[in-house]
Amino acid sequence: METLNNLLQTLNNLFLIIAEAIRGLFADPHSVWANLTMDVINFIIVVVIVVLAALILILLERKIAGWTSQRTGPNRLGPRGWFQTIADALKLMGKEDVTPAGADKLIFKIAPMIIFCLPMMTLGVIPFGKGMAPLNLDLGIFYFVAISSISTLAFLMAGWGSNNKYSLLGAMRAVAQMVSYEIPLLFSLLGVVMITQSFNLGVIVEAQSRVPFIVLQPLAFVIFIIAGLAELNRAPFDLVEADQEVVAGPFTEYTGLRWGLFFLGEYGNMTAMAALAATVFLGGWQGPVFLPGYVWIFMKIGIVIFFMMWVRWTFPRIRIDHLMHLAWKVLLPLSILNIFLTGLGIYIYRLVMGG
Amino acid sequence: MFGKGLLKGLGITFKRMVGPNITEFYPEQKPTLPTRVRSSLALDRSKCISCNMCAMACPNKVIKLTSEKDENNKKVLKTYSMDVGRCLFCGMCTEACPTQAITVTQEYENSVYEPDELHWDMIARAERKGKEG
Repeated sequence: METLNNLLQTLNNLFLIIAEAIRGLFADPHSVWANLTMDVINFIIVVVIVVLAALILILLERKIAGWTSQRTGPNRLGPRGWFQTIADALKLMGKEDVTPAGADKLIFKIAPMIIFCLPMMTLGVIPFGKGMAPLNLDLGIFYFVAISSISTLAFLMAGWGSNNKYSLLGAMRAVAQMVSYEIPLLFSLLGVVMITQSFNLGVIVEAQSRVPFIVLQPLAFVIFIIAGLAELNRAPFDLVEADQEVVAGPFTEYTGLRWGLFFLGEYGNMTAMAALAATVFLGGWQGPVFLPGYVWIFMKIGIVIFFMMWVRWTFPRIRIDHLMHLAWKVLLPLSILNIFLTGLGIYIYRLVMGG
Repeated sequence: MFGKGLLKGLGITFKRMVGPNITEFYPEQKPTLPTRVRSSLALDRSKCISCNMCAMACPNKVIKLTSEKDENNKKVLKTYSMDVGRCLFCGMCTEACPTQAITVTQEYENSVYEPDELHWDMIARAERKGKEG
């Protein structure tokens, strides 16, 4: 029993032990160079997480689309089609890279890169285990939301740089939608911040050792998931891309790997949003059974992502005016009500506990 | 309750997700066709009396047959060709046939590389079929 406990403890702290070992290679384990090395390693790990997530999720999306409509999904390459992503990536790489005449070349080329960079920046503040946040920022949530809202700008850049009026219109629609949904998204997170009195994601996870905040803030969680789906431009809120209706909006002029970067970026952003949901509402690396913390958080991220895909292949696309009504007339008042109720709850709690 | 329909929809798709697939893995596993499928035609040469009724019944003039008379002054089938590119597989030739010489079969892998290959020589096909079977 004792040895088993020790083993689990070691597994739980595996990455911390490895990090300590690497720091130990330096004469002074907390010198600038040691810190720099650790930062570079952390960065590489986050990049690997984003790329792996994108590769796996593209296939998973197609598989789930298949299963939902009683098909098997891709089934040719590899065992039961699980290597299909390789073929997809090769196909995208083999395509001609077209930059339209009259396009604003710099903006046109930089937009997909920005989209793909954002999840790497946002995932950096997620604690993947006890003390395992690549960047331990005190303004974690604030940073996350601020960075992820840059994707709005990247969409506008893609639409503007394409020198195509339909792309520009698509980009305008994207901006209108994403700006609208950012407000309820932020307000839904405020309830949790009020309870924990901290923007630091590590502190928020620590505060969920007894109950995850989905129990205390169910309304906020629902608002967060809906607004998050809209923020990610995923069905049923994918009016921006809307494959069947408006030939992919701001991405109309993109080909090959540039278009692929938008695609990968979408899945990376999805991972980041799911990670935030898992951290803030589902208890992050804390779990009822003693498993290593990183296993818990990736399990929770997986569940949230599965839910997002499940929703995508269940609901029809929402209409544009309904989309705006939902954001401004339903979600925003509800999220403000949630903040009000949370404040009232905290006040009553203090009154009862005499704090 | 608001949102009941959404939950119901999620439930239905989840049931489909965990339920069995209806995909048929066609080239590896041959499908079991419904009994009424009409996808090919076959000729039994010995039964044919060269009455030409199948050619008359055909709405698209698919069937062309020639015959010659033997010593008993009976018609004997000489050639029997079908331009399957025009064939509807309506089966009216089989209904018209008084001796059940031409029948509908369920062979369905009929695709060919050249348009000329769509002119089926039914006698040769019947012989080949006999050899294979």
